[in-house]
Amino acid sequence: MAEPSPPPASNAGLRILLSKDRPAPSPPPTAAVSSHADRDRIIGVFRSALSRNEPPETFSLQTVQEAIKPQKETVLVLEENQSLENALRTLLQELVSSAVQSGKKIMQYGNSLDSGESNCPITRLLDIVLYLCERGHVEGGMVFQLLEDLTEMSTIKDCKDIFGYIESQQDVLGKQELFGRGKLVMLRTCNQLLRRLSKANDVVFCGRIIMFLAHFFPLSERSALNIKGVFNTSNVTKYEKDAMDGISVDFNFYKTLWSLQEHFSNPALTNTNPAKWQKFSSNLAVVLSTFEAQPLSDDDGKLNNLNEEEDAAFNIKYLTSSKLMGLELKDPSFRRHILVQCLIFFDYLKAPGKNDKEGPTGSMKEEIKSCEEHVKKLLEIIPPKGKEFLKSIEHILEREKNWVWWKRDGCLAFEKPPFEKKPGQAGGRKRKPRWRLGNKELSQLWKWAEQNPNVLTDPDRVRMPSITEYWKPLAEDMDPSAGIEEEYHHKSNRVYCWKGLRFSARQDLDGFARFSDYGIEGVVPSELLPPEVNARFSSKPAEKVKRTRREDSKGMSAQPKEQQVAATPETDGGGSGGDPEEGAAPMDSDNGGVEDSQKRSPGEVSGPESGQCEPEADADDNVKTETTSTARLELRR
Amino acid sequence: MAAAAAQSHPASMDARGWDEASYRRGILRARDLSSRTLFRAVFFDHSDDPDPDVLLAAASSDGSLASFSLSTCISAGSAASQVETAAVLVDPVCIVQAHSGPAYDVRFYPDPQQPLLFSCGDDGRIRGWRWHEMQSCLVPLSLQGDHLEPALDLVNPQHEGPWGARSPIPENNAIAINKQDGSILAAAGDACAYCWDVETGKCKITFKGHADYLHSVAVRESNRQVVTGSEDGTARIWDCRSGKCMQVIHPVKSKAFDSSWVSCVAIDASESWLACGTSSGISVWSLLSNECIFNLDCHAPVQDLLFDKNQILAVGAEPVLSRLTINGTVLSQIKCAPQSAFSVSMHSSGIAAVAGYGGLVDVISEVGSHLCTFGSRGLDK
Repeated sequence: MAEPSPPPASNAGLRILLSKDRPAPSPPPTAAVSSHADRDRIIGVFRSALSRNEPPETFSLQTVQEAIKPQKETVLVLEENQSLENALRTLLQELVSSAVQSGKKIMQYGNSLDSGESNCPITRLLDIVLYLCERGHVEGGMVFQLLEDLTEMSTIKDCKDIFGYIESQQDVLGKQELFGRGKLVMLRTCNQLLRRLSKANDVVFCGRIIMFLAHFFPLSERSALNIKGVFNTSNVTKYEKDAMDGISVDFNFYKTLWSLQEHFSNPALTNTNPAKWQKFSSNLAVVLSTFEAQPLSDDDGKLNNLNEEEDAAFNIKYLTSSKLMGLELKDPSFRRHILVQCLIFFDYLKAPGKNDKEGPTGSMKEEIKSCEEHVKKLLEIIPPKGKEFLKSIEHILEREKNWVWWKRDGCLAFEKPPFEKKPGQAGGRKRKPRWRLGNKELSQLWKWAEQNPNVLTDPDRVRMPSITEYWKPLAEDMDPSAGIEEEYHHKSNRVYCWKGLRFSARQDLDGFARFSDYGIEGVVPSELLPPEVNARFSSKPAEKVKRTRREDSKGMSAQPKEQQVAATPETDGGGSGGDPEEGAAPMDSDNGGVEDSQKRSPGEVSGPESGQCEPEADADDNVKTETTSTARLELRR
Repeated sequence: MAAAAAQSHPASMDARGWDEASYRRGILRARDLSSRTLFRAVFFDHSDDPDPDVLLAAASSDGSLASFSLSTCISAGSAASQVETAAVLVDPVCIVQAHSGPAYDVRFYPDPQQPLLFSCGDDGRIRGWRWHEMQSCLVPLSLQGDHLEPALDLVNPQHEGPWGARSPIPENNAIAINKQDGSILAAAGDACAYCWDVETGKCKITFKGHADYLHSVAVRESNRQVVTGSEDGTARIWDCRSGKCMQVIHPVKSKAFDSSWVSCVAIDASESWLACGTSSGISVWSLLSNECIFNLDCHAPVQDLLFDKNQILAVGAEPVLSRLTINGTVLSQIKCAPQSAFSVSMHSSGIAAVAGYGGLVDVISEVGSHLCTFGSRGLDK
């Protein structure tokens, strides 16, 4: 609250002062409740209250208490309410008549021009009553009664202001307790107003009232619903049936254009009658092709200066004089109206009927679809802002569709009923068991270890083999005397190699490191190998690398040292990722490296497999190529 | 075709009375009808009284000249549209066999007492017809054709060669009326344009200079100039008094094809703009400053164009009537019935008639709707 509320002491003082000023001393409170004198007294009390320049909440209650002196209970009883209402209605009437006599708008009556704030007595009175009603001090319907009286007493112009007040207090009026008391009165007020308004001239005000009703009543209120979906068939668009003399107007086209309205006014007929639909679609095609042939430019829209004061120029019905047709066809908003009508019409046709038998047939559906696309395309190119316009129309139609479905489903309330636990149901239906690890199998697996503690010491348990044991098959294959063919050699078994590398990485890091120099065969522990094979892998890899690099520095670009170093952890990382594909990559690289080296130096007989059979002297070369190729591959990856 | 055959034999299953000649005739007629071309359809737009019935004259490829009443066409069209969508055949008010070959052009000579209709054709003749006779004809349609005598008959001169040899008579591809000095201009096939005096029937001037035959001719009366468009790809401006060529315009700038031509020329009402329809598009020139305003490429060769106030209507070898501004922006493209349109003409009320292949005329209202579409019945011989 902006202004500080006055201290209660001064408040009381003021009241005393006012009661002194009172023109007619109040009759003894013991008199009959519904006497004129009593009413006048109440009016007097409120009149004086109206001139107080404070927010209503500070003094309203006191005013009522003062007006109804011998208050029987804390809440006013029936006859007290009645007399209060009577008095207030009379007061309102007096205020309005004095406002009318002053020649001002009633909602601005009493406003001083210089002080900006409003102190219109009528607004004040409404504020006070509204406050009282809201707090339940007086009967809740009272404010609605006053509003009804006020609208009935006022001219249409004033009603606009009054309605502005209603709209501003919409939140309060719509509160559950007030709404229940006053919804019928409010509905009656609004309907009376709508009846008084001209449908053609007061479109905006009508729309305001309808929007207010839509907000005021709950979303699923069906009292305003056209349950049966009856069309307003009396809405006939009249047009000239006989051609005028001369050819200034294409009369056939004129008739074609306006005959569309017959279908729009009663779409149900078109929907059920295929012949009518055929006629409509052929007529529409003519109209659309004419629209399409004459696209409008931005200038056409600007020519129509009436857009500025649309309020005044808005027509709810088309003007159908044939002389106007030429102008109308150049008017973007006219085209939009027709096209939007088409879209609404199509939406109706596409909507499902009560039973599935109704509704368009297959071929008709196709036609509707193509027509609709055509119409949308045309809407899009109408300036100004055709695309935006179409977008909003589509949005509105989409919403409308939701309402259609809502109606079709029997107008269900939108408020979800609070969830109630029905004891019978809960007991009858067994609760679905929840598994800690997602499903039954996983949970059992998890528990299995707990249930079988001695399984860890079980001698038959599958364990990780030692590397010496694991590499044995490969070592045997590597013995040249075994003469194993390439195809059956263990080193070509990628899974075997990958597993072995993983074991080596955990148990024998030295051996694993040899992988980058010698390939997979270098990883095999030396004690497994026959001495002549072993000799090839015995020299220290670090020295070899250095020598290789020295030799290579002339022939080719030196390999950066980091790559050599990085190679090992990377392989390890790939392995620990647990992905067999990734882990297999080093094997790939080995094979690829061989090819690579062969490509690079065709004269050199190289590669691990051939290297085995070569005399020892060749080993150096072999090593060199392998090293470089592996390094290169690391680079490549 | 089948319809024609069935017509001659009501009991079609009975082969005894088989008349092959009539069957052949029927087929030929149907073929002839479908391939007939209207080279020009013009409105008679000079009567002062707002006559509700608009008349239209058309020159056909079978050499006939016909006049149509638009209201009859509209009522016939709306009656038929319930039944079928194809263009209806309409009886002309009057039809004459004007030329021995195709008739290429037809123009009104707006004499207040006796308006004349001039036609020209492949036979190198220009003939003038009394419009009053064609406007209201009492002769039944079946007897028409040779019932009218031309008021004027002009023949193109033949060129004389060595030893007295004479060239064939060159055809007339287009004519234009010069009201100011009462003459007709003809664009002829011998690369010359001829100026004929209507009173005397004598050839006044010959405009010689184009390298190939002429397509079109237009008159700029205020400056006593004539503009011609030719197959050689140029338009020329001639002086009417001296007969000298004053300017050669090359509307087709980029010689993408060697064979580019100027098929139509038009001058607007203020006589300050010139529009040339070429093999590749439209080119508009300012006659005051002698410079090109814009060149617009079209999909199809342009075959006729005209000025409607400050807009240009153009048709070509596609079934579309385009409306352009003087700046070259396309305002609208209206589909029209003839697959290839050879002429567009405008009535003062704003309706336009497009005529072309198939013997079809499509009358389009101001708002772009099709008032009526009809085919013309030719002379049945």
